Amino acid sequence: MGQANRQRDANANGSTLVDLSKSSTREWIAGSAFALPYLLIAGTFLFGPLLLALYMSLYDWNALDPAQSQFLGLENYRILLSDPDFWNALWNTVYFVVLTVPPIVVGSLLLALGVNREVRGQWLLRTVFFSPYVLTVAVVGLLWTELFNASGLVSYYLGGGNWLTSHDLAMPAIAIATIWWQLAFNFIILLAARQNVSDRLYEAAKLDGASSWRMMRDITIPQMQNPLVFVVIVTFVNSFQVFGQPFIMTDGGPSFSTTTIVLYLYDTAFTGRQFGYAAAVGYVLFMILIAVSATSYYFLGGDD
Amino acid sequence: MSTRSRTRALLDDVSLTSDRLRTIGLYAALYGTAFLFMLPYWYMFATSFMTRDLVYAEVPHLIPWDLTFYWYEYLLNNSLIVQWTANTVILAGITTLVVILIDAMIAYSLTRLDWPGRRAIFAIIVASFMVPGIVNLVPVYIIVSELGLVNSVWGVVLPSAANPLGVFMLVQFFKDIPEELEEAARLDGFSRLRVFTHIVLPLMRSALAALGLFIFIWTWNAFVWPLLIFQDDSMYTLPIGLVTLQDNLGITEPGVIMTSAVVASVPLLLVFLVMQKPLVRAVEMQGTTK
Repeated sequence: MGQANRQRDANANGSTLVDLSKSSTREWIAGSAFALPYLLIAGTFLFGPLLLALYMSLYDWNALDPAQSQFLGLENYRILLSDPDFWNALWNTVYFVVLTVPPIVVGSLLLALGVNREVRGQWLLRTVFFSPYVLTVAVVGLLWTELFNASGLVSYYLGGGNWLTSHDLAMPAIAIATIWWQLAFNFIILLAARQNVSDRLYEAAKLDGASSWRMMRDITIPQMQNPLVFVVIVTFVNSFQVFGQPFIMTDGGPSFSTTTIVLYLYDTAFTGRQFGYAAAVGYVLFMILIAVSATSYYFLGGDD
Repeated sequence: MSTRSRTRALLDDVSLTSDRLRTIGLYAALYGTAFLFMLPYWYMFATSFMTRDLVYAEVPHLIPWDLTFYWYEYLLNNSLIVQWTANTVILAGITTLVVILIDAMIAYSLTRLDWPGRRAIFAIIVASFMVPGIVNLVPVYIIVSELGLVNSVWGVVLPSAANPLGVFMLVQFFKDIPEELEEAARLDGFSRLRVFTHIVLPLMRSALAALGLFIFIWTWNAFVWPLLIFQDDSMYTLPIGLVTLQDNLGITEPGVIMTSAVVASVPLLLVFLVMQKPLVRAVEMQGTTK
């Protein structure tokens, strides 16, 4: 490959040198032209709205005639902090996060480590655990609504009547459906991460007579640190933004015990038509997510 | 390898060593969990084929002793499910094409062309990956309605078209295209556009396919955005149609609901079974995205 290629490279360099000055402006034009469609769309539907939301959150926004909107300054944020409905939604969300993040992270890790062993039917197991990934939240929500019904499978075998109309059981029911649905993504990421850990490390440890618990603690977990941090943050961010499951399964009830923060935002905006206030809720949610992601990144210490 | 041969050796051994117990425990845990994972699917499929008597029986049934297609016929005759399926395919198809095209274009520009500001722009795109979609729910809705795109396919396609994840994934791949290939083509008088369409895109087929598969499934399943934008029941996608079925029929029929869930999920479950590899790859690529 070497000789002929090098020869051609030399030729190529030689002949492009001539029109390099002319082509650099052209390259600028071509470069920006190729980037333009994405930048236009991202500007209109991603970056622009981020600024618009901040702007809207300072107003009593009038959706029919934005020019009639009344400037409030930080009033929306002040009202929000003393709004019991907002705090209720925030605590419900935190409760949901606590119910879902640990089982999803630990569960997917255990399944990934288990399937990674050379078990019979590895393909089958991987397919089963990954499959809920391709389901829409509508199917997940409706399916588990039936399972948790008064006459559904869960109540029949575990009791509890209709879980979704019970003040204490509605949120755990939504959490169970979510765990079943969301484990898949983490499972695949962690399985790939585990397969990337070199076998040599384990062989060396075995020679030293390390127990499997020690190998898990001193090799597996540290070697998988980056994907684990990634999985924790992604699961947290997803759980914090939960919407479809309570929207479909309980519509926030009974007596607002499953109204999560995004459900609250959605209702304020599209039922209550308080767009400015809803934008403020969105921004507070944004700040919380950034703060918690940054903190967990800092403490769990993903390198680079 | 070593585990398997050890397992076999242990199976010959009559005494229950701790290793053998551990293997049994591993299998029991994995297959037990797999069984629990499969139960909801089984319930969904079984219920869709059950007669009304079985669906409403006092004791929940798991096996459709009396098979019927009643619910499927009912759904066909009493809902727009065929229309919704077509809408979903069209929406997911358009979105996939648009995302692949504009993401590939900018990824090519960012890795292959030299223009001022491209590094800064790439950094901003990577950072925008962290913006939770929900923050933009209200302002994007306002913009979409100002543009008159409510109840239009484009009102759903455009807001999801600028996909930072796709750009990031493709940039990793475009970096690996050998420079020489492109230079040779340029010397042959290929324009940038021709290099892109005739060399870059064909070379990146498998990466684009993985991204496309991921976007297709994502859009097929999308919920919040179609729920907001499609206000006419003839425009609904499957997820939205499913959720409104109950209200439209005026009654809650578990048979109908489970049957509609089957219709909405079977196409993707089949795609999943056939194309598991590229999908796993697309997910793994996200794991290395950080």
